[in-house]
Amino acid sequence: MNENVLEVINLETIFKRDQQEIKILRGVNFSIQRGEVLGLVGESGSGKSITSLSIMKLFHGTSGEIKNGSISFHGTDLTKLDEASMRQLRGKKISMIFQEPMTSLNPVLKIGKQLTESIEMHMKLTRKQSTAHAIKTLKSVGIGRAEELMNEYPHQLSGGMRQRVMIAMAMACEPELLIADEPTTALDVTIQAQILELMKQLKEKNDTAILLITHDLGVVAEMCDRVVVMYAGQVVEEADVFELFANPKHPYTKGLINSVPKIGDRKEVLDSIPGNVPSPQNMPQGCKFAPRCSNAMEKCHEHEPEIETITESHFCSCWLYASKEVALHAK
Amino acid sequence: MQSSSLVKQDAIVVKHAKYSPVREFWRAFKKQKAALVASIFIVLLIVIAFVGPYIVPYDPFEPDYNAILQTPSAKHLAGTDEYGRDIFSRLIVGSKISLTVSFSAVFLGLILGTILGLISGYFGGWIDKIIMRTCDVLFSFPDLLLAIAIVAILGPGINNVIIAVMVFSIPSFARLVRGATLNAKENVYVEAAKSMGASHVRIMYKHIFPETISELIIFVTMRVGTAILAASSLSFLGLGASPEMPEWGVMLSSGRDYLGTATHVVLMPGIAIFLTVLAFNLIGDGLRDVLDPKIKNN
Amino acid sequence: MQNKLLQVKNLKKQFQVAGGMFEKKEFVNAVIDVSFEIKEGTTFSLVGESGCGKSTTGRLITRLIDPTSGSITLNGNEVGYLKQSELGDLRETVQMIFQDPYASLNPRMKVKEIIEEPLIIHTKLSKGERENLVLEMLNIVGLNTEYANRYAHEFSGGQRQRIGIARALITKPKLIIADEPVSALDVSIQSQILNLLKKLQQEYQLSYLFISHDLSVVEHISNEIGVMYLGSIVEIATKEALFVNPLHPYTKALIASVPVADPLLRRKKETLKGDIPNPKNPPTGCTFHTRCPIAQELCKLEVPKMRQITEQQSVACHFVEKIEEV
Repeated sequence: MNENVLEVINLETIFKRDQQEIKILRGVNFSIQRGEVLGLVGESGSGKSITSLSIMKLFHGTSGEIKNGSISFHGTDLTKLDEASMRQLRGKKISMIFQEPMTSLNPVLKIGKQLTESIEMHMKLTRKQSTAHAIKTLKSVGIGRAEELMNEYPHQLSGGMRQRVMIAMAMACEPELLIADEPTTALDVTIQAQILELMKQLKEKNDTAILLITHDLGVVAEMCDRVVVMYAGQVVEEADVFELFANPKHPYTKGLINSVPKIGDRKEVLDSIPGNVPSPQNMPQGCKFAPRCSNAMEKCHEHEPEIETITESHFCSCWLYASKEVALHAK
Repeated sequence: MQSSSLVKQDAIVVKHAKYSPVREFWRAFKKQKAALVASIFIVLLIVIAFVGPYIVPYDPFEPDYNAILQTPSAKHLAGTDEYGRDIFSRLIVGSKISLTVSFSAVFLGLILGTILGLISGYFGGWIDKIIMRTCDVLFSFPDLLLAIAIVAILGPGINNVIIAVMVFSIPSFARLVRGATLNAKENVYVEAAKSMGASHVRIMYKHIFPETISELIIFVTMRVGTAILAASSLSFLGLGASPEMPEWGVMLSSGRDYLGTATHVVLMPGIAIFLTVLAFNLIGDGLRDVLDPKIKNN
Repeated sequence: MQNKLLQVKNLKKQFQVAGGMFEKKEFVNAVIDVSFEIKEGTTFSLVGESGCGKSTTGRLITRLIDPTSGSITLNGNEVGYLKQSELGDLRETVQMIFQDPYASLNPRMKVKEIIEEPLIIHTKLSKGERENLVLEMLNIVGLNTEYANRYAHEFSGGQRQRIGIARALITKPKLIIADEPVSALDVSIQSQILNLLKKLQQEYQLSYLFISHDLSVVEHISNEIGVMYLGSIVEIATKEALFVNPLHPYTKALIASVPVADPLLRRKKETLKGDIPNPKNPPTGCTFHTRCPIAQELCKLEVPKMRQITEQQSVACHFVEKIEEV
């Protein structure tokens, strides 16, 4: 049995607006093991990005706050750490790659400066050593002209190059956990293929655990070992990637998989999920997916289902698979 | 063939309160206490300006040589001037002149400046260059100096003060609207309107001008304050209202000979100008906090 | 035989990127040489990566920008060089759907006002007649008619895109230019919109020029596809031919790069090396030669001509036959 790098238990994150608390995450549970790629899948509004920000505790400038639950990283509960200790972890033990590399690179600093700064701070190296280390890291992400690039500014690079630099920055201190939030969504397909391949290689080499947040089921199928499907701030299904695609249980997961057009698949009409994701202020009672679900029963609209074990590595929260009954009281 | 499945998909209506821009604005503006107080003051001032002539305790033009330069008392709330005229009554009647002059000057400047700014920003190219370089020339003179020059050419008088204040307002409005237009015209929905075949006038009026409104409202309130100050200054210099009129600037000017003996003659119109200009600026600040998208997002 | 609704021939667009009165002028060729045609009631897709000129081509056809050279004929009439004031016909027959459903609808206008705008511009219908048409349109695109008096920003991405489609359809156009209409939407919503577009096409005999970077979406919706790279079409073929037997090395790489939503088909990718070259400074000869796995000396020197290989497929590559042997 492998050790868990990260364990998220019953995580609840809220945002405050006009003295009102809006619950974005409503009890999220999952764990990641060493050297594992865990896919976090969901549509916009599912809370997948808020999950990553909660793990990093990067709420500055927003009213976000962890209300409940724990995030244990090698046994340390991150929710209890202060900002200074978090800063020690960020970039060293836990790194993050964002969708839009331009927003996380400082436009007025040279690439070299940005890279060596965090290396110097976290790895306690001299200026010279950290420069050498930075160049080595850039080369490891497939940048041939690393020495030249150290003296360039972010805006001089193409989108794919910038994402490589971001990955180099994230991997420079050999983190144990890499959180990649839609790392290839802004990139062209041929460049996306390069970046995904690179992330796979780096994972193999360093045994890094990767939390891959994406809406693209193709990327999930390509990259992940295990998948967590989120809907409306909760995990609705969790399974091994082969199991999930071969035998999805939750009606939402099924709908998601079937609504993606596949090359070579000559369907005239695509399956789709009717309606829209509910907004956090207007959450329906009972199962949050019930209003869009074609299998919805009466109890789905009244009670929230609990997470059920389907097989040893497959969990799903849906009344279709419930082990115990619940009394209905029509109001 | 009408697909019922598609219609059904949207039967799940997201219920929320009906959105209304006006209600939204009022909700936010109520939180701006200083601006709210200032608005009440201005509304009162406007009411007084209109009904003032009918409620004043004394005839503002009638001299009373038995009560020259009296300090404020229960009988004369703001004292009397060198001819024994009641200063309080004169201030009330004068408010109408100050407000009319500043409002009409700013309003005319707003219309012309907005049109020029829209044209300049929307079409760009040489039209833009001509309009903006002309504005630069006007900008290169200090506001008041420009106004003095205009009145000097046109001759003194209230109407010419309005024209002078209007002229120096135009470039500021034009520049503001041009900036907002340059932003607004990058919106995809402007391109969408073009692809539909909408005329230039329609695009400017329907899709671009509304984007500039919030900035314009803020600027207009600030500008009215400036205009009151400018109009009073011109009158103070003897270029505006005629000497017997109860215009605030004129009152200030004629009272300055008695500054040593009867301070209130200068102080009272001074306070009136000060409070009015301050109120307009406070409203402008409040509106900026509520309406300016750059501040709203923080 | 279906009628050709739109024909584009050797279309070229040059943008000035630097220079002015006193400096040396610099140009970028956004579209170098694009030719294709769209038959009535069919969908032609332009697919390619960022900077390939697919969106510029769409904007040239709607005459949002003016072509540098080449021709655009709509129903047999040349429209590429008409003055903006003479474009009434084109503006009525050709409508656009935009990528960003948030930015393409004016946030200060009500849904009703947004959808009726083309009617105000092109017809003399009364207010009541316009309102009836708007309500009918809302029904057709699957929106509740009660939404007519709401503001567009109150809706989700998918609903907004439906509003955009309603606006495009209200003048009963023949050709819809859809520029990445689903790429900003969530997958479950994306399929709703794709189904709607297909349904509308059948009901109203619409033609689509579908511009997208997403090959799986393109395969689903198209009849014919043109693959663009750095301003030129490199391969043009029917959907069946293109996906079963892609000929151009770029098309092959593009299709191979798409991640497949099935972990059983997981494989090591033969990824294309390097970045897309900067369009300001394009490579000589075949623009793809810097990344092409089979490039030869000839490719650096000579621009390959578009050659018809089969009835369904044309390709611009010097060594197509050689690839087929491999």
